[in-house]
Formats: sequence, C-alpha cells, structure tokens
Amino acid sequence: MKAIEVTNLHKAFGETRAVIGVNFTVEQGEIFSLLGPNGAGKTTTISMLSCLLRPDDGDALILGHSLRKDPMGVKSVLGVVPQEIALYDDLSASENLTFWGKMYGLRGAALKARVNEVLEIIGLTDRARDRIKKYSGGMKRRVNIGVALLHKPKIIYMDEPTVGIDPQSRRSILDSVLALKSEGTTVLYTTHYMEEAQELSDHIAIMDHGKLIAAGTHNELVRIVGEADRITLSLNAESARLIEAWKRTRGVQQVDAEDGNLTLLVDDSNQVLPRLFEAAAASDVRITSVDIQEPDLEVVFLHLTGRALRD
Amino acid sequence: MNKIFAVALKDLTRSFRSAFALIFMFAIPLLVPLLFLVMFGNLADEEQGFELPVTQVVVVNLDEGGAGFEQAMTNLPGGMETDSLGALVVRVLQSPDFGDLIAVRLETEPATARSLVDNQEAGVAIIIPADFSAQYAAFDGQAVLEFYQDPTLTIGPGVVKSILNQFMDGLSGARIAVTVSLARLEANDPAVIGQVIEAYMAAQQQDGPSAARLDVRTPVQDGPARSPVLVIVGMVMGAMLLFYAYYTGVATGQGILQEDEQLTLPRLFTTPTPPASILIGKFLGVLLTVTVQVIVLLIAARLIFRVDWGSPEAIAMTIVCVILNASAFGIFLNSLLKSTRQGGVLFGGVLTVTTWIGLLPIFVGFAGGSNPMIDSISLSMPQGWIGRMLLDSIANASLGQIALSGAVSLAWTALFFTIGIWRFGRRYV
Repeated sequence: MKAIEVTNLHKAFGETRAVIGVNFTVEQGEIFSLLGPNGAGKTTTISMLSCLLRPDDGDALILGHSLRKDPMGVKSVLGVVPQEIALYDDLSASENLTFWGKMYGLRGAALKARVNEVLEIIGLTDRARDRIKKYSGGMKRRVNIGVALLHKPKIIYMDEPTVGIDPQSRRSILDSVLALKSEGTTVLYTTHYMEEAQELSDHIAIMDHGKLIAAGTHNELVRIVGEADRITLSLNAESARLIEAWKRTRGVQQVDAEDGNLTLLVDDSNQVLPRLFEAAAASDVRITSVDIQEPDLEVVFLHLTGRALRD
Repeated sequence: MNKIFAVALKDLTRSFRSAFALIFMFAIPLLVPLLFLVMFGNLADEEQGFELPVTQVVVVNLDEGGAGFEQAMTNLPGGMETDSLGALVVRVLQSPDFGDLIAVRLETEPATARSLVDNQEAGVAIIIPADFSAQYAAFDGQAVLEFYQDPTLTIGPGVVKSILNQFMDGLSGARIAVTVSLARLEANDPAVIGQVIEAYMAAQQQDGPSAARLDVRTPVQDGPARSPVLVIVGMVMGAMLLFYAYYTGVATGQGILQEDEQLTLPRLFTTPTPPASILIGKFLGVLLTVTVQVIVLLIAARLIFRVDWGSPEAIAMTIVCVILNASAFGIFLNSLLKSTRQGGVLFGGVLTVTTWIGLLPIFVGFAGGSNPMIDSISLSMPQGWIGRMLLDSIANASLGQIALSGAVSLAWTALFFTIGIWRFGRRYV
C-alpha cells in the first residue's frame, strides 16, 4: 500500500486557484518534499491532506483512508507539524504534550510515559516544566514537532518547520526528520529551501502557481536540465564578436545574453572557464564577474519557471 | 467525553494562569466593595481597636410585684430583698459594671419609650409588664418583657440583650432551686426527686433555657437586624459579581477566536477528535471558569464582608442562572465576531452597556429607592433579570418568588446558547 496517493486535487479561494490538479504518490517510509516558492500552494495542499480544508475536487488516500470518506481515519494515522508554532504559551512543554496526547487518544500511564519519551527525543527533559513563553524560537519548534510524534504516527506532515530559526535548531530539526525516516516513518515535507529538499528527500515534487510542475528523485530532476554547469558572466563592454567566439569555444553548449549578463551552459566549468578568459582577452574585453552554478534544484526551478526559487 | 473535558480543563487552567484575568475576575470585584466598606463602615478603625459607643436604654418598669415573688426571693440562697422582679432588672441594668456600655433612662409610658427608639434618641427600649413578677413566681407562669430596638444598630442592642439573657438565666436557675428546696421539705423520698426533675424539665421546655422570655420587636422588620452599610456593600458586591461574571463569560468565550488566530484550533482539528467535541469542550471551559469565579466571589464576599446572600435555595438558583447566562452571553457575543480585533467593541460597547443597564436597579437601590421605569428598562436586558434575582435573593426572597426571573433568564440562556453554538458550528464544524 502506498503511504499517500493524491489524485487530481483542486482548491480555489474565490477567484484565486490555489491548487490545480495536483497528483503525486508517496511510498511508505520515504521522505517526500514539496518544494516551491511562497504562494506555490504547498500549505494548501498539506491543509487538504490534513483534512483542514475540503478539496473542491479530487481525493487522496492516506494509508488507504480517503480524505473525503474517512477523515477521522486519515487523522488517526497522521501527525501534523504546522508551519507556525501552534502551542499554548502559558502551559509548560510537559503540559502541552500531555494535552495534545489526550487529543490523540492517549491516556494514563501510557500518556505519561510517551510524554517523557518525546521530551527526551526533542531534548527538552530538563526544561519540561518551563512555560513555552520562556522558550527560544528553536525550542518552541522542537516542541511543535514533538506534539506530532506523540501517538507514533505512520505518516508525518511537516510544513516548513525550519522557517525563521537559528542554524543550530535547523540542523537539529533536519536530523530529527532523518531519524524519523530511519524508524520507518513516512514524512511529507514542504520547504522553499532547495538545500533542505536536496539533503532530506527520496523524492521531490516542485510546485509553482498551484501546479506540480516536476517530480522525481534529485538526480531525475537535475537531468531535466542536463549535466551542464551554468556560468553567469558580466563584461565591462558589450561585444558581439566575443559572444560569437564563445559560441564556437569547445565545451560551450549555449550562450544567452539578458539584462547585460551572459549565461552560458557548459559541459565542465573547470575546463571551459580558462578558454573563456582567453577569448575575452583576444577581443580586448574584460570579465568583471563570474558565477558558476553546478546542476541543482535551483537550476531546475530556474529552467522550468524562468524564475529563481527564492523570488 | 474525555477529550471534551481535556479541552475544558486546559482552558480552565489557562484562564487562572493569566494575572490579567485573575485581577479582573477576583481582585477588582472584591476591591470595589472593600473601598465602600472602608469609606462608610469604619472597617479600618475596627481593625485598629474598636470602642463600643454607649447605648442609650429606656426602661419602663410597670411591674407590680407580688407576695409569691417576695417569698421566692427571700428563699434564694443568701436571700434577696426586692419588691418586684422589674425593679431587680432595672437595678442590674443600672449597675456601675455596665456604665461603659449602657446608659439607662427611666420612663413611665411604653409609647414614649418606643418613640424615643423610633426617633433614634435611644437604641433600646425595655418594657417590663405589670405581671412580670407574678408570672415569674407562679410555677407554670411565663415572665415576658418587651425588648424594642433600633434596627440600624447591631452591637449595642446585642450587648443589652446579652446582659438581660444572662440575668434571666440566673433567675430561672434560682427558681428551679427554690422549687426543689420546697419540695424536699414536704417529702424526702425518690418520688420527690422525680418531681424535681420533672419540674426542671418543664422549666427547660418553656421556650429555651430561661423561664423569662425576651420579646424582641423592631419597627421595620421581623428578621435579624442588618447594618445598612453591610446591606449596601452586599448590593455593590452583587453588582460586581454580576458584571465581572459577564466579563469572564465574554473574555473566556473569546478563547475560541484566539485559538483560531493562534493556530491551535486548526491544529486541534487535525487530531482524531470530532470538531463538535472540541467546540463543546471550549464551551464547557467557559462554563467552568465562570462557575469557579462566581463561587469564589460568593464565598469571599460572605467571609470578608459578611454579605447575607439570602436563603441557600434562592441564592443557589440565582447562581446557577448567573453562570449559565453569563457563559451563554459570552459565547453568543463572540460568535458574532470575525476576529479578536473586534473585541474592543464587544467589551467597551455591548458588554458594558447591556450589563450596566441590566444592573441599574441595584444602583438605584444604593440611593435607597426604586423606580418602576428603571426596573422595566433593566428587564429589557438579560442581566436585568439576573440582577433582579440577586436583589430578591439578598432581600430574603423564597425560591418561588424568584422563579419567574429564573425562568426568563434561562430562556435568554437557551437563546444565546442556541445562536452561539449554531454560528460557531457553522464556522468550524
């Protein structure tokens, strides 16, 4: 059985179409990332898969439970880590976890034991009795994740869990996601940080303007733009003769001029770059800046949408 | 059901963790009556060492005495010479031992004595009837004197009454002793002992321990006298209790919107808990918070200000209606809002205006009057019916007398709950 099977999900808010015909499948035990800029429709998709929003059309099966027909069944196998901190500031970490545990159906000694386990997992045992309002942003994030672990769900949704936190806490969260995977938990992870998706994911789906525009493993996605490196150059003067010279240079696949910058797709930047400098010197043109990008998801997104991922 | 209680208890815990909420729920409602008491009741003086004022006592001794009485008195251990029991009462009251507490003035006409009390020239009038001694001396008689007091005074008349009770208890004991002695002179056998016991029991059964009985009458009311300051403090306390119960109902009802904005409510909806259970838990949380607040204020007012809330049944019924109505009102008002940003209008406008209109009769009551038009205006608000219940309860109304107000307030409650639950349900369930 697939962990998640999403079929033709649609959601609109008035005139705004937030999610348009999204389809994807997540295998059990893998980390699946939804990558895309802010406003791409990732959170709306997660909200529908959490039964918080009702899809206008389409359905999804979560471990065989239909969003439309069996929302309680869906909720019982899910743990959800929302994008924003959703905790009670005036309760302690222990009290928060105990309350949320009850809402997931835990009781008595089992609840108490599980709360202690989760406090151990998120590394807050010694601060368990402190109220959440006294915690740093990173500590709050850890409790926010801890809540979703209480009932040992088979699937966890994490909606941009590293937004706005320090590098140390971010590292801790990424490690905890990898630890969940090693325990066999399926993780559906949304982010607009390409590096996170690249590091964590078995499969990645790229979303933009409500549509899923590409999906696959990291290597499969990179192959969309080929194995070429991307070199972006600035010159001290425009030179048509130089551009023609570079097009003929060995190892150069493509030269595009846009907004005063030149973008070259090359086979191997280490070998091609000296030849580019030689040609520039021969044309009496000076290169004022060089930026080299090896194939990555940023390049893929740029290639697919014509925009940078962080725009 | 467990999840409903978990939500409610969580809300209750959070309510009582907020210093701001605690101030509004308990500190201010108690502070206002306390200020009244300090201003008008000399509470501070009392705490620093209170000196009782001398109570003016008017005595009218009409007692004609009697042979039987004189014989009884001379047979007392040590003997006692006096022509009437009334004279003995006067002598006791004029004792220098009580000079710091009471000043005795003798009059001949009962009407004069009573009018002196009515005009507040005296605190107490004691009228000793003509057959007072004769009734005392007769074995089956009952000596009764009239104790007429100013109802606005409590401590002074209480002191006089205490002196008289003590004296009368002594006389009753003496009468039993004399009866026993006389009986022993005639027959010294077990049967006599039985008769003595019988006589003592008979004396005990005559309305308490004393053969002499005090008839306490007040010009205005039959019940125990209440200080007017305490009556006003009771009304102020009642008004504060009601106002802040509604405040708490609205403030805790706003928790539903706050949780929505702080995103804990959406997260609750991702748990395997029916949305209806979550909302019922939230409503129960409002109800529990108001319940704890009202009960604590009720008990605190009783202990701190000695507020007499009336009969237990009436005040219990009133409190149930207060709790239900304030909670339902809070849920109803919040269901009309889109966000907590509109809360200022809610607290500053709707809550304050409706509650103060509803409680107008209480404020009119401070001034010692009532106004039928104001009563009618106040009853256009649900708080008006609740306020009326509380006022009636404080005035010792019976359960039956507050039943109509209770029924109307419960009808308001049902309406508020229905609309509030329907609107929140439509939004979230």
